[in-house]
Amino acid sequence: MTQQAPDDQAMAERIRQYIETQLPDASDLRLEAMERIAVGWSHETWLFDAHWTEGGVSKTRGLCLRRDPGNALLRHFSDLGVQFQVLRSLEATPLPTPKPYWYESDTSILGKPFLVMEKVAGTCPSPWGSAGRRFYAEAAARGTLPKSFTAALASLHSIDWEAAGLSFLGVPESDNDFALREVQKWCELVEISQQEPHPILIDLIGWLKANAPETKRLTLVHGAYRTGNLLIDNDQISAVLDWELQVIGDPMYDVAYVLTDLNREGSALLSHLVERDAFFREYEQATGIEIDEKVCQYYGMLYQLRSAAFWMSAAGLYASGQSDDIRLARTAWSVPFVLEGAARALGY
Amino acid sequence: MADYVQLAPDELLERIARTLKKEIGPAVEAAYPKTQAFMAAVVLQKLAGQLRLADDHAAASQRDLQELTEELSQLAASNAIPAPLAEALRTLRHDLDAASVSRLIETLYATRSELGEERFNSLIRRVRTRLRARVDREMVYAA
Repeated sequence: MTQQAPDDQAMAERIRQYIETQLPDASDLRLEAMERIAVGWSHETWLFDAHWTEGGVSKTRGLCLRRDPGNALLRHFSDLGVQFQVLRSLEATPLPTPKPYWYESDTSILGKPFLVMEKVAGTCPSPWGSAGRRFYAEAAARGTLPKSFTAALASLHSIDWEAAGLSFLGVPESDNDFALREVQKWCELVEISQQEPHPILIDLIGWLKANAPETKRLTLVHGAYRTGNLLIDNDQISAVLDWELQVIGDPMYDVAYVLTDLNREGSALLSHLVERDAFFREYEQATGIEIDEKVCQYYGMLYQLRSAAFWMSAAGLYASGQSDDIRLARTAWSVPFVLEGAARALGY
Repeated sequence: MADYVQLAPDELLERIARTLKKEIGPAVEAAYPKTQAFMAAVVLQKLAGQLRLADDHAAASQRDLQELTEELSQLAASNAIPAPLAEALRTLRHDLDAASVSRLIETLYATRSELGEERFNSLIRRVRTRLRARVDREMVYAA
């Protein structure tokens, strides 16, 4: 969906001037096909094609610019500087990700910090709309994309994260440190939301702390691996996007997100795309990691806390006047759904 | 406002929501404000539903918490409970609200080893039964 903003033209010119500074040998630089797209509720995103002449040769590069609006939903956890560093670290790995070009924390350039990365070929249909669901149902029937979905996750969990230089993300201690860190992280978001937590949420937090599982192995964890966060080209995952919640942790955390009902709205297919048995078989074969369903159930409940924290934070942004986006106000009524799910899971 | 508008507040919100959905939203061309208009209609409808049920739900919640307090007090009387739990129960008896229930739950988890699994489960089960009723009520207007 393209957004209409009154300052789009001025913004386009400021972006052009910035790109010009990064391409000192370029002449006749122009940006075409610029669109501001609404993807998620975190960062503002512009897509465009840069055309220029260099050494008498015409050049073109598709670019994606993400700017921190300052009031993004996951602003406390999602720093564009970190995202840039993660993308840099992943460049040399087999995982398909956009090539990062520049990161600027200097707010005098575009008003807020931003990063510029490669515009990768492909589309990213939203699984929450009928058109997206139809897209994934048809792709599931063809059979290639589900395999690519599982293979990309297996590739992500097989990355040598230490060699890739991803230790800066923080490495959990042994035992159940990873799970407890995640519980703490989402409790902090609940606190930041300045909304009084529902007693069911307090019960859920108590249960999560008392039952935190041991992490058997550490891998890079995406944190939100699902359709809608993956770019697709010709029935293949062309790029894994949304590097906002990544951590070094238990790969079952990602697997649980694939398995959760939260991402399939009643569809029998995981993430609206993948048949459950095939996912288990192909993931285990590719990674050599056995899926631990009990641990996944635990992380499924942790996602209930995360969802509640996410919606409470969103509603809080609107209530506090930090955002005027009415979609955020709407999320206040999503909280009871999550709590009802948590209540069921806790055996209420 | 109620003195001058011949509609109950929830009905007024429903009416404005309908106008947003049927007249204002469709007339807006730009995608972003159009979405905002439709989303505002959804929010007002939900608010209307919540407002309509607010008094009944508040009364039901008070009844639930009153009964919960009595049940837990009986259980506590039959066998001594840890001091922090007794304090949390006293607070709940005094303030029949969600914050007091939350404090009680936190204290239940904090004193779990002292209570032992059987007593912990017996106490938390009673709290959960009342919270189940509460979330069921919330689902009526959230859906």
